[in-house]
Amino acid sequence: MSQIQERGSTHVYKVNKISKEEMDSMVARCVHEDPPFCSAACPLKLDARAFLEAAAAGNFKKALLLYEKIAPFPLILSAGCEAPCEKKCRLSEIGDGLAIREVERAVARFGEQSRLGMVFRSKKRKSTAVLGSGLFALLLAGELEKKAYPVRVLCEEADEEAYLRAAAPFLDGEAFRLELKRLRGKDIQFEFGCALTPELLEETRGSADVLCASWELTQQLFPGAQSVPELVYCEAERLVSGPSEGVMGAAFAVKKAALTVDRLAQNLDPRNTRGQEGAVDSKLYTDLAEAKELRRVPVGESGYSREEAIREAGRCIRCHCEECLKSCAYLKHYKKHPGLLAKEIYNNTQIIMGDHQLNKPMNACSLCGQCTVVCPNGFDMARVCHLARQNMVSTDKMPLAPHEFALLDMLFSNGEAFLCRPQPGYETCRYVFFPGCQAAAIAPATVKAAYLDLCARFEGGVALMLGCCGAICDWAGRYEMEAQTRDFLDRELAKLGDPTVIAGCPTCLKELSGHEGLKLRGIWDVLLEIGLPAGGHGLDRPAAMHDACGARGDAKTQEAVRELARRLGCELSETPYEGDRAPCCGYGGLTAYANREVAAEMTDKCLERSDAPYISYCMACRDRFARQGRESRHILELVYGTDAGAPPDISEKRRNRLTLKNEVLQEIWLEEAMEKKLDYPLRWTDEARRMMDDRMILVEDVIAVLEDFRESGEAIRDEDGLLVARRRVGNATFWVKFSPEDDGGFLVRRAWSHRMRVEKREG
Amino acid sequence: MAIEKNYYTIDPQGKLSCYKCGVPLVKGKAKFMYLDNGFPVELPVCPVCGFVYVPEELALGKVASVERALEDK
Repeated sequence: MSQIQERGSTHVYKVNKISKEEMDSMVARCVHEDPPFCSAACPLKLDARAFLEAAAAGNFKKALLLYEKIAPFPLILSAGCEAPCEKKCRLSEIGDGLAIREVERAVARFGEQSRLGMVFRSKKRKSTAVLGSGLFALLLAGELEKKAYPVRVLCEEADEEAYLRAAAPFLDGEAFRLELKRLRGKDIQFEFGCALTPELLEETRGSADVLCASWELTQQLFPGAQSVPELVYCEAERLVSGPSEGVMGAAFAVKKAALTVDRLAQNLDPRNTRGQEGAVDSKLYTDLAEAKELRRVPVGESGYSREEAIREAGRCIRCHCEECLKSCAYLKHYKKHPGLLAKEIYNNTQIIMGDHQLNKPMNACSLCGQCTVVCPNGFDMARVCHLARQNMVSTDKMPLAPHEFALLDMLFSNGEAFLCRPQPGYETCRYVFFPGCQAAAIAPATVKAAYLDLCARFEGGVALMLGCCGAICDWAGRYEMEAQTRDFLDRELAKLGDPTVIAGCPTCLKELSGHEGLKLRGIWDVLLEIGLPAGGHGLDRPAAMHDACGARGDAKTQEAVRELARRLGCELSETPYEGDRAPCCGYGGLTAYANREVAAEMTDKCLERSDAPYISYCMACRDRFARQGRESRHILELVYGTDAGAPPDISEKRRNRLTLKNEVLQEIWLEEAMEKKLDYPLRWTDEARRMMDDRMILVEDVIAVLEDFRESGEAIRDEDGLLVARRRVGNATFWVKFSPEDDGGFLVRRAWSHRMRVEKREG
Repeated sequence: MAIEKNYYTIDPQGKLSCYKCGVPLVKGKAKFMYLDNGFPVELPVCPVCGFVYVPEELALGKVASVERALEDK
């Protein structure tokens, strides 16, 4: 198999395979959207993080607006609030918790009241009436006014001042004056000096849609009336009323009562859709290392001044979890926390008709698993993206284009470039060396040296298998192809007598561990056991070790490679994000093929950790770092004293694999190699080679076009006299611009391709 | 979604010619097809052998963007 069938149509309507429950449970692991601990502890649900942010910025107007959302009378609440938020402030774990209530008081005192939303606000059609006085009645009247209900207050008091005094006798002079002004500014219709009789209540019931009363009045008019605590509603009396204790108790009861009023005004059962009321638990994670100022700004007798409140609010670290975004270039690129991105990617898999706009992010994840390690809750973006890819494949919605080059490369590795031979003199072997497709592509001399070394030092025969472990199709979500690859490799291994596989690549080791009953070791383990061969040497200056994502969770491998480096005389410098927390180089998950921009950002993320040369134990990492201009060596290059040199382009990678196969066949197995040689000279401009690498056009594709031209003579002559020929190869049409040379050869100048078919149209 | 009819922007002076037939290319009717979708276009075509030319800018520009849009269907 050397071609992959493109899906025949975009008109495919199949159902999905991922269960919503499974996706929901994965998404729920992301705590980014959990409230900060202070807000979670507040039964009134103050957005304390935004409030403190506004206060810290000196924007008291905005801060007051946020505070007024929970408190129609801010000075009353801040005077009597028990501040459960302060007890939960994470700063209290390492220093003084934030004085949130004092900041609230300062904001209530100094903040300018915003008229936003007060002007031209249309009132609701349903009207309300509040009978009696006291804290509950006052706060409820304020809350209902805020919700735009027409509110009538019927009370015994003679005026607003007496009404406020009855409700909040604890307010001092200035606070009382400010709250009285606020009360007078509210659109509440007062009826003072009322005799609160049962007749008045019944009369009011006739004119108001929802009737509310203070608890004292309810008890007086209906002795023994029972209020449902979670509704603050006396069902028999059809009266919104309930007992409340203290300012906090009254404020929370008012929140519940106002919701009951909403439901009653809509003629709904007040138990309906109330959401989560009161304080909640938060699972949010916060990195306390971001805290700068641990000591609280001292509070004077009259509370904070404006400046002091700004300083205190500035100590807030705005609890938020961005552990994964800090370390993952992919999530950073899409500027989304993984819970949201995962939801969107899941929704993307559910689209039957229309654009799958999340295909690109779905295919851009390197599936490296770093997020799972750095996330305090173990969020697994790799699983989300991998499942989504498999799902897209299963419903025939997965585009082939992003992964086709890599998949064809895998077919090449396990086809034309594949080799499986027992050591000469053996029919079956105890071991087989499996260096991995990238090692053969990037450092063929190192592979050969390692194989010869293993042959020389092991008894029982060491076979060689050059091919791909199947990680490519696994990453692409092509599960059927993965199963075929597994069967193919199992059959080849069986021919060798099921030897122990010595893997040269941690990703191969991980991928092959999915084969039932397969005995597996990493070459790093083997080398530690049998000792280093002669000829190896470390770097003469400190280097950074880059851990491969294939070895995540495999401390033994990570340590074995470090020990090898130390024995070679390497001095390893420490870098952030080592071991299990290491980022991916950009090759993993086929990111390098599906989204080069994100892949480049991933490589940069790896390289920003250190200025030193990088030592890695995955050949793809070695290659990507070298391509980015960093001195980069694979541990096996150091062990065998080889240097793979400058990174090869995509065509050289294929040629290296073929050359390695032919070389070992000739030198070790003394077999005649089948090498195709061109019978005409082929030359390239530098620009053409760069262009081909960039556009994923192989030398073989160009040769196919030229062979076709030589046979058919079909080409276009352009305005500069250059020839342009084309040929359909697999799912793409390749175009080559060239000039014929005097010696019968060709100079290739440009190359491009497209996947669409094009043909002449009649009529 | 339709691909622009852009023969005149590709070869305004008619300087392209068919190497095999030795005649200038002319504005001709052609069709792009991808994933069960077809788009009629006008491209430089050899009037003798019917060779349809897809220039580099068109392949990497409009054709590539329509391909991507269809792939995500």
